[in-house]
Amino acid sequence: MGSMDNTAKRLLQRLVRRIPSQMLKTTLDKWSRLTAAQRQSMDYTESKWALTEKLLAICEENELTVKHIAELEMIHVIENPNLGMWYVFQLMDPQDDAHSVELTQFKEQFKSHLSELIRHVSIKIKKHTDEAVWIRIAWGDTFSRPNHLKPTYVVHYLQTPYVFLTSPTSKQKPLLSQALVLSTRYQAIKDANLSGRKLTAIRDLLMKQYLQVFPTKFPSPLAERNCVVSNLHIEKEQAGSAANRHQMACEAFGDGILPQLQSAVYKLETKFRDHTNKTMTERDEPFKCVVKFASTNLLESLRHSASSGVASTPVTPLLSSVPLKGKNYFVITDNGPGPSSQMKPSQK
Amino acid sequence: MCGSAYKNRPQPNYCSCVVPVWVNERPVREILTCQSPRTTRTHPRTARRRPPWSFSVARTPTDSIMAQRRSKNKSYRQSYRSCLGAASRLSHTPGWTARRLNTSRRTKSHNITEKVNPEDLALLVKTEWQLSYVTPLYQFRHTQLRSYSRQLSAFITAEKQQGLAVEVEGAQTSFRVSFSAVQGLGETDDDAETVLLQIHSKPVFAGKDEAQKLVWSGWLTCINGNPEYLHLLPKDFTCLPLFGSRGAENLTSLVKSWFQQTFDCCFGPLEINQTCLQWLAALWTNCHIESSIQHLKMIWTLPVEPPLQITYTVNSQDVWELWNSVRNPSLESREEEEAARSIDIEEVTRFMQGLKSHFYRHFRLDLSAGRLSQVSSALGSAKFSGRIKMSNSRYVLTTLTLLTECALLKMPI
Amino acid sequence: MSLLKPFSKLPGLNTANILLVESEEQFQQSLADALVEETSVTVNVRLAKSLPLPMENDESRPRIDLVVFIINLTSELSFQSAEASLKYLDPGYFLGKVCFMVTNARNASSPAERLDAVRKLASSLHCPLLFAEDQTPDGVASATERLLTILKVAAGLVPIATALYVSNLTRCTLPLDIDLPSFD
Repeated sequence: MGSMDNTAKRLLQRLVRRIPSQMLKTTLDKWSRLTAAQRQSMDYTESKWALTEKLLAICEENELTVKHIAELEMIHVIENPNLGMWYVFQLMDPQDDAHSVELTQFKEQFKSHLSELIRHVSIKIKKHTDEAVWIRIAWGDTFSRPNHLKPTYVVHYLQTPYVFLTSPTSKQKPLLSQALVLSTRYQAIKDANLSGRKLTAIRDLLMKQYLQVFPTKFPSPLAERNCVVSNLHIEKEQAGSAANRHQMACEAFGDGILPQLQSAVYKLETKFRDHTNKTMTERDEPFKCVVKFASTNLLESLRHSASSGVASTPVTPLLSSVPLKGKNYFVITDNGPGPSSQMKPSQK
Repeated sequence: MCGSAYKNRPQPNYCSCVVPVWVNERPVREILTCQSPRTTRTHPRTARRRPPWSFSVARTPTDSIMAQRRSKNKSYRQSYRSCLGAASRLSHTPGWTARRLNTSRRTKSHNITEKVNPEDLALLVKTEWQLSYVTPLYQFRHTQLRSYSRQLSAFITAEKQQGLAVEVEGAQTSFRVSFSAVQGLGETDDDAETVLLQIHSKPVFAGKDEAQKLVWSGWLTCINGNPEYLHLLPKDFTCLPLFGSRGAENLTSLVKSWFQQTFDCCFGPLEINQTCLQWLAALWTNCHIESSIQHLKMIWTLPVEPPLQITYTVNSQDVWELWNSVRNPSLESREEEEAARSIDIEEVTRFMQGLKSHFYRHFRLDLSAGRLSQVSSALGSAKFSGRIKMSNSRYVLTTLTLLTECALLKMPI
Repeated sequence: MSLLKPFSKLPGLNTANILLVESEEQFQQSLADALVEETSVTVNVRLAKSLPLPMENDESRPRIDLVVFIINLTSELSFQSAEASLKYLDPGYFLGKVCFMVTNARNASSPAERLDAVRKLASSLHCPLLFAEDQTPDGVASATERLLTILKVAAGLVPIATALYVSNLTRCTLPLDIDLPSFD
């Protein structure tokens, strides 16, 4: 029996299945565990099954282990950050030296802190070109070896308070939090209530990397662009208010292409108030409901609904909080702080 | 209406075209559907006995050539129509079917477990069905179910073997169809008995002893069908307007085409429209006191770019209290019981309005701009696309009554 | 609140002015583009989401000869918005200078009840009800043609015919049985 154990084989099989054939070559090239001759011998027009068999043989030949296969997986995940679900956590209360943490120090610290907390753990850290530190963690427990088939990925941009995680379980989360807090020189970490399938999108949203529009008294180029007359004989009576709606929609959600967020969830526990319904309005208990907005690009959908008039303007703080606060999960109560306190009675 | 059925499923012996015209100085847009001489069909006898709804009539001043080709039935239809004056809906449906939109329904729960064979009932509930409507069946006999089972089995086997070069040994037995009548489901004497269809099959590579597996099931039903409509049907026609199916798409279409050939009927997709979904939301909520609905979930689709989907899930107790608050004050004394059982469309509208206004108060977004596309609770789920799941046998009849009504509205006259 | 009045301004020479009111602002644009192509008369199109129209345009706005309410039957809001806009029209308009145009009447997601409601509205106001198809160029062309026919009459450009006369022939009538109680 060679170096490749069952886990390694299954991991490789799964990876080859997941990576599209046309991408397999570049991914393997980046891996640099195969010799030039071995890479040459691969025929990417073959079936996935044949490719897997071939790769398994090469891995045996090169005496590669599960750790090497994990590297390959990491390359694939870094190249495709928009697969899977990412959850955002926010570091709080930086210590004085938090700003001076650099990569080698962070790497060392994180590894040693996490290994102290849990005996069987396999950690791989890689720095990506855009300043992001990618961490792959395979968890084990006191009695079992790290499970490489269910890894957690952590992405952290040094000197920012944001940490992005995939699939952390409730058991692993506290360990991970502690290691992160200690190695980044912060004092606490909290759930930022933001999640999405596209890492780049939620990162852009948090770091405000989209075209923002600020309120102004003067007619903006936005409004003017919108009033282009298509024909001398056609006149829009309400062009002014349309431009106004568009301006307000852009102020709330931004202009141009917006980060692709898939959903936003609101848990409402507020009183039912409707002047036509006395019984419900007089009821003491809150009206409990959950509202989920979903779209291929939520922010663009919301911006369009405000500019087309489906949503009334000015945009409610509940909706504009998504880009403003970088959150997409909200719990709204009547007396609690936050957007709900700004709510006005029904305008309807 | 009749036009839509043919529009979605073009058939070789139908031609349809959209003709925008002015009729009596009134603009109407109708789908003109006319049938060419029935050369392709297998039952020439039915051609002589066409029921009125086989033709959807388009009254256009320009179609005189078409008019000449029409049979006697059509002139009968036209005169019938003209004596009723302006047609309703899309200037298309004569009077007596126009007002089949119910504005009030009874909601009593039915403990049908005593009346209906529990096995049959178990088949009906807890699975999701794709709905279609079916025009009345010509010369369908409940006494012939056994023979239909044989015929349909043979039909499916024959169709499946098309294109096979060599006859496969024992392939005749690969599909076994069973027709059965579900007794006790119908509410009135006018309702034809529900028919249950099941197709069992043995996988191609299965061993000899392996049991046949249920691969497809479906049913045809009519619960509380409009008696006026049912009485106006000529003899020899059985009205089972609601068709539910589950299983492979190709088997569904084979079953449909066998029915079309054998009973000279037509199938069309049955969407569960917004009013119907709202009814279901209210009917289910109304049941909360008897059997917990757990939550009421509604999905709206808003026509913005890209489309926005809003899922609005309300706590069962809260939604029930809202429902109670919009109910009409119950009538006094002996009428009280009856009033408690019946729901009015105004109540449903107020209920939805209440839900929408609570939503608007928070998001300043008007759900009326979109359309309700799905409603679900612990009692079942219904989708606009025509998928329905009934999770509790007690409310099967109420739901099927509503759906029968939707299906009857689709009947071409 | 300012009412839109049919006769407060002088008509232009060989000119017809039409106001398209549509809350969704979708179909009106393609209709407008097709309407202004008309060569026999000068057609001016004003587009609005709802009424009332803004005061500041009063000066520049020509006399409106025909007001068209476009209702998308799949949207409840579309109908509600049109209904709410009606009260900003001078009663004089209802003598043949208003018409309703519905789209998506055959769409499966538009409930039959809503079409009935539009019918009732149109017939109670003695207005014609047009059915249009907004997705295809052919549909837009035929809708445009119908509107032009009514518009020319409403603008007084057709000898002998008057808006009031034509509207008597074209107005929507209600089926006799629309309010009969249902079975059950």
